[in-house]
Amino acid sequence: MSQPIKCSLCEEAATVHLSQVVHGNVTKVHLCEACAQKGGATDPAVFQLADALTTASPVPALTCPKCGFTDIDFRKRGRLGCPYCWETFGDALGGLLLKVQHEAAHVGRAPAGTLPAGQMRRRLDEARREMEKAITGEDYEAAARLRDEIAELEKQLAIS
Amino acid sequence: MSSVEDILAAENELTHLLGAQQAVVLSTRIRLARNLDGMPFPGWAKLPQRKEIADRCVEALDALPKFRRGHVLRMGELGDRDRAVLVERHLVSKELAAGKSGAAVISRDQTCSVMVNEEDHLRIQVVKAGWHLRGTWHIAEQLDDALGGSLKLAFSDRLGYLTACPTNVGTGLRASAMVHLPGLCLAGHMDKVSRALNQDGLAVRGWLGEGTEAAGNVFQISNQQTLGLSEEAILKHLGGWIKNVVEQEWNARRKLAQEEGEKFVDRLARSLGVLRSARLLTSSEAMNMLSHLRLACDMGCLPEERRHLVDRLMIEGQPAHVQARAGQELDSDGRDRRRAAVVREALKDFPEVVPPTA
Repeated sequence: MSQPIKCSLCEEAATVHLSQVVHGNVTKVHLCEACAQKGGATDPAVFQLADALTTASPVPALTCPKCGFTDIDFRKRGRLGCPYCWETFGDALGGLLLKVQHEAAHVGRAPAGTLPAGQMRRRLDEARREMEKAITGEDYEAAARLRDEIAELEKQLAIS
Repeated sequence: MSSVEDILAAENELTHLLGAQQAVVLSTRIRLARNLDGMPFPGWAKLPQRKEIADRCVEALDALPKFRRGHVLRMGELGDRDRAVLVERHLVSKELAAGKSGAAVISRDQTCSVMVNEEDHLRIQVVKAGWHLRGTWHIAEQLDDALGGSLKLAFSDRLGYLTACPTNVGTGLRASAMVHLPGLCLAGHMDKVSRALNQDGLAVRGWLGEGTEAAGNVFQISNQQTLGLSEEAILKHLGGWIKNVVEQEWNARRKLAQEEGEKFVDRLARSLGVLRSARLLTSSEAMNMLSHLRLACDMGCLPEERRHLVDRLMIEGQPAHVQARAGQELDSDGRDRRRAAVVREALKDFPEVVPPTA
């Protein structure tokens, strides 16, 4: 594996990586948690992640039963251990997700044949809103595509 | 011949296909992050698990028609230079190239590449020359469906596709455009433009992605949010902004050409002069002057049909490419000498720069 990247400000291992654009030049900053807290970078989502990771109130001690990953590991790495960790740490991550993503629920695609009814209904609502916007914006190509998607979703929901 | 030599020798649309290139937008890229259900993410998996993940993913990918007669490259089996070439071509990330248990499956035409065991088990990437958001998305969608047919992917009703990092969960979609913005840079507006993009949820990065310099006035603009927005909404948001940035870039170029007059043409002509006669060229110097030639092709100061050659030199002027072409390791001076020779040869029958028509 690669050498761990060191914090740009001290010798600690960097867990927060930020890109900043100034006068057309992109610079990258690697920070450890302590230094990231003091930082003033501008990349919004990445910095919010850094912010959320370093200022979140202590997460209750949790261990993923599938892979042994703990909340301490997450705070060190900013990455989860396995798909099941989302189940284990789901509640603890809710606040962070809202900060990083501004949303808490998925509304997009699903693996073929697995789109559950609840999600289909959410997607249907969203597709209807998107179609209205497309029509208002006179983007008829997008509107036609959305109309087909809506018809398909309505058909599938009627069957299930 | 190694597979990487094959990749270098093959003509692909980013470097060779006449007519695929466009002014301002160099390429469109779609990336989807996907993971196998029930397996730890690569960063947490033990070595035998990573091996199992790589084997399962590579087997599934290799069976897809899209990758017929393509390339399967295991990072642990490649030398440093070959891995660096793949990074310079954007076929794999620096992170994948740095690890031993990563693999890349690349289609014959090099438009599709799937990284295995990067931060996620699978990173599907599709790249097209020019601005083709819908077409590029469509190919990625088909690949995703095909993979979902043979592998059980980690997916939750509430959170969508589950990824190692919270910044990718949901759609796992990163859509981006590689844009060439010399007008906005010369006019000193790039700072303002990046800020506006950042504030509306888009990231602006340099030529080789996160943390790289914006050599040659080339920037990558991509969506940040992956959760709570449909793929359609993400593409639409990015598409609207790219259209806006392209317009602003053209305004800046026209204004510069008009206000500077002969000075504008002189700048482009000087760059051609230096590139055509320099004996030593550093990578960043070459990139910045090639940026001027691309601008000249867009503005009618050089024939438009030369643009693909400029794009090819931008890619092939990078350090690992220069060494791979030379067939040997070269020190910094050796690379600069060799790069200058390649550029001189490529530009020897270029016509003179004339005042803009665009």
